[in-house]
Amino acid sequence: MGSEADLRPIIEARAVGKRFGSFQALRDVSATFHEGQVTAIVGPSGSGKSTFLRTLNRLEAHDSGEIVIDGIVLGDDIRNLNAIRREVGMVFQSFNLFSHLTVLRNLTLAPMRVRRMAKAAAEEKAMNLLERVGLKTQASKYPVQLSGGQQQRVAIARALAMDPKVLLFDEPTSALDPEMVNEVLAVMRELAYSGITMLVVTHEMGFAREVADRVIFFDEGVILEDTTPEGFFSNPGHERAKSFLSQVRHGF
Amino acid sequence: MNWTRLYPGWAMFAAMIGLLLFLWGMALPLAALPAPIGPAAEQFADGARITVGLTLIAGSAGVVIGVLAGLGKLSHFGPLRWFCDGYVWLIRGTPLLLQILFVWLALPTIMPEGVELSDFTCAAIALSLNVGAYNTECVRAGILAVPHGQVEAARALGLTPLQTFIDVILPQSMRVALPALANNLASLVKDSSLAYAISVVELTMVGYRVQAESYQPIPVFVTIAAIYLILTTAFTTLTAALEAQLDVGQKR
Repeated sequence: MGSEADLRPIIEARAVGKRFGSFQALRDVSATFHEGQVTAIVGPSGSGKSTFLRTLNRLEAHDSGEIVIDGIVLGDDIRNLNAIRREVGMVFQSFNLFSHLTVLRNLTLAPMRVRRMAKAAAEEKAMNLLERVGLKTQASKYPVQLSGGQQQRVAIARALAMDPKVLLFDEPTSALDPEMVNEVLAVMRELAYSGITMLVVTHEMGFAREVADRVIFFDEGVILEDTTPEGFFSNPGHERAKSFLSQVRHGF
Repeated sequence: MNWTRLYPGWAMFAAMIGLLLFLWGMALPLAALPAPIGPAAEQFADGARITVGLTLIAGSAGVVIGVLAGLGKLSHFGPLRWFCDGYVWLIRGTPLLLQILFVWLALPTIMPEGVELSDFTCAAIALSLNVGAYNTECVRAGILAVPHGQVEAARALGLTPLQTFIDVILPQSMRVALPALANNLASLVKDSSLAYAISVVELTMVGYRVQAESYQPIPVFVTIAAIYLILTTAFTTLTAALEAQLDVGQKR
């Protein structure tokens, strides 16, 4: 963290606001994320952390403020949006693998369509990624034939197949049976050490503490804490963060 | 129908070859039958070819119309949605016979000078518009059945809206819509008989003429019914096999 000044900012959010009807989900959220940084985004449910993540590749359109990804302003311009989505990968809570395609085709679809990769090259790359997440033998299966943990590892490999500069994780382990959480966290840990920029909305405090460079605590649509894992877990500054942590800990 | 499920590719192939062989060669066995069938064998074969021709043309055009209008009904653009709503409302609310008569008698009076439509073309247009309206609702239901997460995953990978539709939404919606579309196709085989009203000599018309000459309605109409049954069996085998082919990766 000490050398943050040397790192290139890759995501800049300035005073981002978002409302759903009368509910203000995000209030003037500002944050800058740097290349190679692993950020854990935590907070109670309904605090806006997932909404914030989803505004970063415009799965939700923000109402106010500005988001700049790798120098490109995120807005209604469809070319900018497509350029950004090529660089920002996303892993969802419910995996969202394409159910009508094999595991291999799930990985090759976007590189072939969006990056115009040749089929053989896309498949070779896909097999390497499947090997990396430990699922090389499952390439010809359909998502429904895999366990939840395996599906999420495929989803991570699918996102990686586009060579994204940033990976967004939206509660990647929340829909998993407890015994499958670790296999997914192991893949994410390996990724974090490989130097890719990661933003992880998570309830896995162990993962946040061990792997993240930075912890952001959301509450009622604002960032209450933005600090190091040590700082957040040992010495949270706000009452809300303290009570959140004590509740999460009692859960363990 | 287990056989079509196990070998969908072979079943489709067999149904298509069987249909072609039947249309091409049915006059041979029919000619061997005693009067009134034998002498009219060629007429039966010609009538069956017209019926299958109408079914294939209107069936294909009807699927294209159904997909376009089904999408139109889900459009965010009001006028397009109203147009598609109006189309379905009009077609479903009026008799098919009236629609066929309208295209045959009323359309030429509003067509530009010099454009001549054959009786067969008029019947094909009316049947296409009719089955298209029923298909519209099946396609719309299929599209609505695709989980939103599939669309989000495709967009997050950088696929354009068109690529998302062609590669993800359409194949997934088709496996939901196909049983209903197959139903409409089976109806179409028989609805095409209404083309007799505008002097298209299709299968039912052939039967009517042959019995009028021979005064033997029972053998004639039994033969006609048998031919229809063979045709609908070929078409439903085809669609059942297609269904099995699209059904991969589904939960049971």
